[in-house]
Amino acid sequence: MAQKVSIDPFTRIEGHLAINLEVEGNYISDAKCVGEMFRGFEQIMRGRSPLDAQQIMQRICGVCPVSQGQASSLAQEDAYGLEIPDNGRLIRNIMLGANYFHNNVTHFYHLSAMDFIDVKGILAYQGKDRMLLDIKSWVQQEMRSKKLFPAAPFLPRYETRYIQNAEVNISALKNYFVAMDIRALAHQLVAIFSGKMPHMASNVPGGVTEQVTTKKIALCRTKTRQLREFLETEYIHDVLAVANEFPEYWQLGKSCGNYLSYGSFAQAKGNTNKVFEPGVLINGTFSEVDTASITEQVKYSKYSSDSGRGKTNPEPNKSGAYSWIKAPRYNGEPMEVGPLSRVMVAYARPGDSLLKQYTDQFLRQIGRTVEELDSCLGRHAIRIIELQLLLDRMEEWIEKLEPGQPACADFTIPASGKGAGLTEAPRGALGHWISIENSKVSNYDCIVPTTWNCSPKDDKEVSGPVEQALIGTYVQDKDNPIEAARIVRAFDPCLACAVH
Amino acid sequence: MTKFTRREFLELGSKMAVAMGLASSAIPDIADAMESLATGQVKVLWLQAQSCSGCTISFIDSEAPGAGELFTRYISLLFHHTLSTTQGEGCMEIIHKTSEEGGHILVVEGSIPEGMPEACVIGHEPVGDLVVKAAQSATHVIHLGACAAFGGIPGSDNNPTGAVSSPRYLKNKGVNTPSIVIPGCPPHPDWFVGTLVHLVKYGLPPLDDRDRPLMFFGKTIHHNCPRFYDYERSTFAKKFGDPGCLFELGCLGVVTYSDCTTRYRNGGINNCIKSGGPCIGCSSEFFAKDPALPFYRKGEKKA
Repeated sequence: MAQKVSIDPFTRIEGHLAINLEVEGNYISDAKCVGEMFRGFEQIMRGRSPLDAQQIMQRICGVCPVSQGQASSLAQEDAYGLEIPDNGRLIRNIMLGANYFHNNVTHFYHLSAMDFIDVKGILAYQGKDRMLLDIKSWVQQEMRSKKLFPAAPFLPRYETRYIQNAEVNISALKNYFVAMDIRALAHQLVAIFSGKMPHMASNVPGGVTEQVTTKKIALCRTKTRQLREFLETEYIHDVLAVANEFPEYWQLGKSCGNYLSYGSFAQAKGNTNKVFEPGVLINGTFSEVDTASITEQVKYSKYSSDSGRGKTNPEPNKSGAYSWIKAPRYNGEPMEVGPLSRVMVAYARPGDSLLKQYTDQFLRQIGRTVEELDSCLGRHAIRIIELQLLLDRMEEWIEKLEPGQPACADFTIPASGKGAGLTEAPRGALGHWISIENSKVSNYDCIVPTTWNCSPKDDKEVSGPVEQALIGTYVQDKDNPIEAARIVRAFDPCLACAVH
Repeated sequence: MTKFTRREFLELGSKMAVAMGLASSAIPDIADAMESLATGQVKVLWLQAQSCSGCTISFIDSEAPGAGELFTRYISLLFHHTLSTTQGEGCMEIIHKTSEEGGHILVVEGSIPEGMPEACVIGHEPVGDLVVKAAQSATHVIHLGACAAFGGIPGSDNNPTGAVSSPRYLKNKGVNTPSIVIPGCPPHPDWFVGTLVHLVKYGLPPLDDRDRPLMFFGKTIHHNCPRFYDYERSTFAKKFGDPGCLFELGCLGVVTYSDCTTRYRNGGINNCIKSGGPCIGCSSEFFAKDPALPFYRKGEKKA
């Protein structure tokens, strides 16, 4: 007899998710990813000026607005037949790289790490670090107080085994707080050219409205160097420390094994020569991306049965439906998207690639295999590999910026047209499709990374990638299902994106 | 609680006074406010409704005090969807018990789907119900960000979920807890932290007719625009990336109230207009409301 176990709400992700499990003899026999929020961005976009799209659609997500905004600009550029200047392309890459940095640091430290770090471990701290002593005395006071919920927002928590090594634990705990400033720093790097973050002011079809100056180039250099220092001296260390304490998570969280990447960080005209390369990998067979092969299924989604790709008709009380997320499928197959997919596509794609080189080197250093990357820890590890690669590229891109040269091309909005904008958000393959009639948006369609990863079952009852990663997992304590929490968080779900 | 020296509170007070645009005579008062925040008396319950978490992400960019400092030294952040370690049922216990105990400040991020309660659910409960319960026993409600403040994009005229701003939702439900509206997409972290400090020390800050704190939203963007000189000289940008006043590209700085152009964003590094982006009026009650009113003015090719 299966027992129902639920994590509802599933906190420390972006947005509203519930995870409902059926557990038989401590093994997860079924899993449901439940998207709990719907806003209707695609309907809201209809009838508006196409030029509103990069502003409206980037606001799908406050964590990865750079990806959403750039996807919308790419879709419009496709529709307008517009090529952007070199400066514009370089700036976009720098902004996107900095946003990856922000995203990955926030994801590891502020969203995921509290599933591993033992906050109470601070009570045994004997060192002299001022910040740590402050945290220690705060936790002590809180634990002694008569508050209903002392040491919030860090307690209460699932009671389970946390990091045992005191030194490692304290270092990671301190970096939880240090990383707050580091992610703000990554935002500053974006804002040098975006005006502000979250939500860029300068992103338009044709490029970027901000000018390139020598002062901005110098600012970019400094901030990139500061980010590199944190990555190399702290972030990598903390991820590997967690990996050392919980090596079983190299085996937990194996998903559907199908991978999709649209590619991003174009280095040549025509949105080509991408650092992260596009590709599809289904059951080990590689093919180029053909977005005509994508369907969106809604048997278990809260939309009318005629909804699908390009059509969204909410039906909140639909019988049998359990999620606001649709079920996108590629040639009928569920696809994982995100860091692991980018790596798997890089390995499967003919020819060499930078991502493959960086991954090979990292795996050699830690003595792990490519196969082991399809796991909870693998997904965390690839995020640091990607940042190593991106920081190296960003330093090159910064040096290629040309002060005084344009960063933006002019255009007129056509009376009618269609365009697609495909990119890789930190969380994976992101597609925007725009249709224009009478110079207004007649249709707008987004398929977003977490739509793929957290999709519900499809019309053929096949579970989505996160659901598959959970099924079969051993849960030691059904009241504290930490294994499920760690596996889901490693995907970095973003529910505002998934449903929009 | 961490022992702070009076000197440290005075230092923080002076940073906050600058952030809030107050005279130096206010520094000791603000230091008092920081001290009373630091006694952990101020309970904060943060509920996310139809949001993108951008307000949260912006808040944790706060510099002085930083977010980590804020919730270990100044406030008891009892529940926050993105930050709380607690997950699952325990969250609902915190939300309900805090609401029952009362005396907290409620922060609402995101619009409320009044016409389709199923469109935002936490632990099987429509977020609107949770917001009402938590607001009834709160000392104040801070409606944070464009969506909570005025409905924002999810609350625009053609939205499919009947989404409304949280003040309007609460008013419709007969809840009259004192309200502060902090718009912006996202709000500057100083706007939120500064308001929190003001609340603790002086109570409600002076508000405009939309319940926005006048200390942050008292003047138009245009008033202190870095391109004001271009406007005076009628030097207008004709296309994106041009120097000059952005008015002819659709800039809404002349009708939008906020201090973005003097406060700057992200640690003072830039702001929208400085980066060549016309103001899209994200702190205005009209932000994204009417699909017929575009953000930009740009030549369209006729059919």
